[in-house]
Amino acid sequence: MVLGSGPIRIGQGIEFDYSCVHGVWALQELGYRAVIVNNNPETVSTDFDTGDGLYFEPLTLDDVLDIVAHENPIGVVVQFGGQTAINLAQGLADAGVPVLGTSPEAIARAEDRDLFDRMLVELGIPKPAGRAVRSFAEAETVTQEIGYPVLVRPSYVLGGRAMEIVYDHDRLEEFYSEAEDANPGQPVLVDKYLLGQEAEVDVISDGETTLIPGIMEHIERAGVHSGDSMAVYPPVSLSGAVQAEIVEASCRIARALGVKGLMNIQFVVVDERPYVLEVNPRASRTVPYLSKITDVPMVQLAVGAMMGRSLADAGYESGLWGGGALGKPGTIAIEPGSGPVSLQAPRFYAVKAPVFSFQKLTKVEPSLGPEMKSTGEILGIDRAYETALYKALVASGISFKPSGFVVLTVNDRDKHAAVSIAKELVAKGYLIASTRGTHDTLEAAHIRSTRVLKIEEGSPNLLDLIIAGEVALMINTPGEELREEVEAARIRRVCIEMEIACVTSIDTAAALAHALDVFEHPEKATCLPYHEYLR
Amino acid sequence: METILVIGSGPIVIGQAAEFDYAGTQACKALREEGYRVALINSNPATIMTDRETADVVYIEPLNVDFCERVIARERPDGLLPTLGGQTGLNLATQLANGGVLDKYGVRLLGTPLSAIQQAEDREQFRRLMREIKEPVPESWIIESPDQLEAILDTVPYPCIIRPAYTLGGTGGGIAEDRETLWETGLKGLQLSMRSQIMIERSLLGWKEVEYEVMRDSKGNCITICNMENFDPMGVHTGDSIVVAPSQTLSDIEYHMLRTASLKIIRALGIEGGCNVQLAVNPNGFDYYVIEVNPRVSRSSALASKATGYPIARVSAKIAVGRTLDEIENQVTGTTKACFEPALDYCVVKIPRWPFDKFPNADRSLFTQMKATGEVMAIDRSFEAALMKAVRGLEIRQKDLKHPKYESMDDDGLRRAIAKPTDERLWAVAEGLRRGWGVEEVNRLSKVDKWFLQKISHLVGIERRLVEAGKLRGEGEDLSSLIAEAFLIGYPSASIRRLLGVESDDSPFGQVAKAEIERQKIMPVFKMVDTCAGEFESQTPYFYGTFETEDDALELRKAT
Repeated sequence: MVLGSGPIRIGQGIEFDYSCVHGVWALQELGYRAVIVNNNPETVSTDFDTGDGLYFEPLTLDDVLDIVAHENPIGVVVQFGGQTAINLAQGLADAGVPVLGTSPEAIARAEDRDLFDRMLVELGIPKPAGRAVRSFAEAETVTQEIGYPVLVRPSYVLGGRAMEIVYDHDRLEEFYSEAEDANPGQPVLVDKYLLGQEAEVDVISDGETTLIPGIMEHIERAGVHSGDSMAVYPPVSLSGAVQAEIVEASCRIARALGVKGLMNIQFVVVDERPYVLEVNPRASRTVPYLSKITDVPMVQLAVGAMMGRSLADAGYESGLWGGGALGKPGTIAIEPGSGPVSLQAPRFYAVKAPVFSFQKLTKVEPSLGPEMKSTGEILGIDRAYETALYKALVASGISFKPSGFVVLTVNDRDKHAAVSIAKELVAKGYLIASTRGTHDTLEAAHIRSTRVLKIEEGSPNLLDLIIAGEVALMINTPGEELREEVEAARIRRVCIEMEIACVTSIDTAAALAHALDVFEHPEKATCLPYHEYLR
Repeated sequence: METILVIGSGPIVIGQAAEFDYAGTQACKALREEGYRVALINSNPATIMTDRETADVVYIEPLNVDFCERVIARERPDGLLPTLGGQTGLNLATQLANGGVLDKYGVRLLGTPLSAIQQAEDREQFRRLMREIKEPVPESWIIESPDQLEAILDTVPYPCIIRPAYTLGGTGGGIAEDRETLWETGLKGLQLSMRSQIMIERSLLGWKEVEYEVMRDSKGNCITICNMENFDPMGVHTGDSIVVAPSQTLSDIEYHMLRTASLKIIRALGIEGGCNVQLAVNPNGFDYYVIEVNPRVSRSSALASKATGYPIARVSAKIAVGRTLDEIENQVTGTTKACFEPALDYCVVKIPRWPFDKFPNADRSLFTQMKATGEVMAIDRSFEAALMKAVRGLEIRQKDLKHPKYESMDDDGLRRAIAKPTDERLWAVAEGLRRGWGVEEVNRLSKVDKWFLQKISHLVGIERRLVEAGKLRGEGEDLSSLIAEAFLIGYPSASIRRLLGVESDDSPFGQVAKAEIERQKIMPVFKMVDTCAGEFESQTPYFYGTFETEDDALELRKAT
């Protein structure tokens, strides 16, 4: 019996239905009768001919137990239906129902912060300092030990809900109580916030052999929710040593937990060291992407592992898969000394980009942060990184209007990066407009920019420029000062209303600058059936 | 003809969710069954339709004219099926046709002709057609410039509704109570519309909203798949409304009047495939207005497919390549044809899932612009039981009709909450009934039909008795018959325990009550969704649970 993922919501989208459907098909291929439980009428999983039986029922423990009593399945698959299904694992086990794949005990060990931390310490795998706390006083103690900035978030919730980066003591209490309210009765996690390069992997394991189909490198730095980050496969900047360490750590975590099936691990890389941010002992939202672009039938292998077939028998070894973009089917060894380029010379790049629905949600602040806001995702795939980026940006709705200014208003931390982005834009003939702080920085770097007033400085100001239709693209990164943020949020919101692309992360802007050439010459991008890129 | 190009709907956005993967996957399968080679373009790889097993050749490329033209140039398809990729697919197909790309490569548009699509989507053409066939449409104004908008500010009856043409899920629409709001919302709508076109329409706030899913083939055979009624009266986007299928509050005369109108409209337009007709019905009389027509597969048709078992996208795809309803097999029964209208012997309730748990500062009010990201559906033998199932399937904090926010709200606040559509209005309505305001008063405030309110009253009544029995610790009415009644109406054991207040109560009363809940707990039987209410033999393993005696699932398993 395969449990579905319920209604589509931010953080749990169509990707999980994809895994459920493939899970059912894989079970059928192995000769099992596979039934599905789900209550979402929009999906393929609830098509009456997808499984051998469809129970259109709510995914609560009571309802699922009733169906189990009726069907008496040999086991229940909870790995594919997102947090909805995995949350039922313990209850099913308590009722004596066999949970297939990774055991409920191992799931709890991955999801319970204290247990998980202890395991990582035993394995000697680094993670950001911090721990689970149950009171504000305790949160203060932890913060004193590890120092600001810290990441405050509730445990056991989806999509980074009520997750915040806290820079000083003044706001710790506010965000602590928000995190506490988001999941009452559960601890709040307080961790050192590390600003670094994020990367993630999805692994398939049978408890012995662990296959990593590919490493995805996030384009936005840590602090942007993984679901809202652009990500590229294969990595473009991670060194061989870092990739080797990610692969090594992933294999050891899978073995220590006794994973049978799929698991997702997120890392942040600081000073050439990958730290484990989070582990999800289930299929993640990146499984369909990686399955398609690495040509590894991930769900099928995971189902095999759950049903007792070894990956070794299927011809796989532990380690990083060399097929897909890397062009060498089979597990490959990574030379620790190698840089990303010598590691790959890949056949293609695949860039995943988020898509938002801010147009429909009035009064929602569109800047990116630790809380997930996107409703969907798309993929840009091409032979070169620039053209893949271009496709991802275009497909996610980011475009330049044919004329007007590119407006840059960035916070102090991003000013340095803004200079190089502005240089590329100016070199391509774009006109730059910026507000005071950014303008001064650009001027000091001898980059021509037109200064525009902030709203509070009088008029005509930036808002007037936007409304007059003279803005082609907005690059506006959120700062920390509340007063400035109120204005910035208003500017971003107006861009959404006026359908002007608004980039709120400096890393996305850098990616955009990187793809500028293709925006001018779209014919540089190829257009092929996706499996031909893999050839 | 050999190759057919299918355009997908791209990423999941509010207004376009997984339903188009469901539709596209069915369509690809249906076309391949008919012997065609299917080429597919979609930018969203997290879909079954972009699997290499679903289509013959799959392009994961941006959905714009540039890339579509390159795919066409490379694949040289003979036909293009435009009506299965939502508004995105339809808009792209229209752009390709109007830009001459289809003519250049000799690609034929399949299914509903483009002229019919334009006639359905262009308000003025649509109204002209409705006047010709004498179907009533609410008085309205088509506006294509700020000047035109300014000219009508004083003639329009307020409140009025603003609907931009050619956008997703009603983006940019709204309700204007006064000329200032009309001016602002109207300007925004002009900008968002692909055609720079908006419609200002007399408001029918408070009327019943009813939809008919209808199907027509190239020979003119027409059937109704099912009808659906919105719990929320007119004024709330149907994607944001609680929906029930089949309609529950229409009289037989009304049902057939609206069915006849829908079939007349699909014939007049010359649709070939599935189509959705939205109508407004006067709750106090027999008059109605035609609101709009979706000449394509939609979220509503996905819901109707799941609610009836009738695969609308599959049949639409077959119709597009020339098959007729009397030829296409009904896969569910295996014995009947696709021209049989489905019959329902159960009640279906859909509740949308909104993202406000993630965006606590967002504006929660609901109107003509859709805000939900997804939805749940529940099937049972009564509206009450289906509603309770849908509520607990939402995976929000509320597992039944109690909501602390409304329980603690003062009367004035609650009246406003009942009157104003939001994602939480169901719980406000229940609280009003809980306070004994009565069906009349809650209907006056919310305009929700009294039939729905009576059903919710029924549920709240059981709830009140459970709470009372918990307080009296078994001294009042007979606990075991009350628990049995609660089960039958759709309260799961967890809710009964919670309402009796015995969840973590190990006193003698708590133990007795919990033991009684376990003893009374009826195991559900599982009934089949067979498209024909048991009239014909059917072997489809599509089930819903209910508390009855005859178990279709068991019988099917024995038979096979």
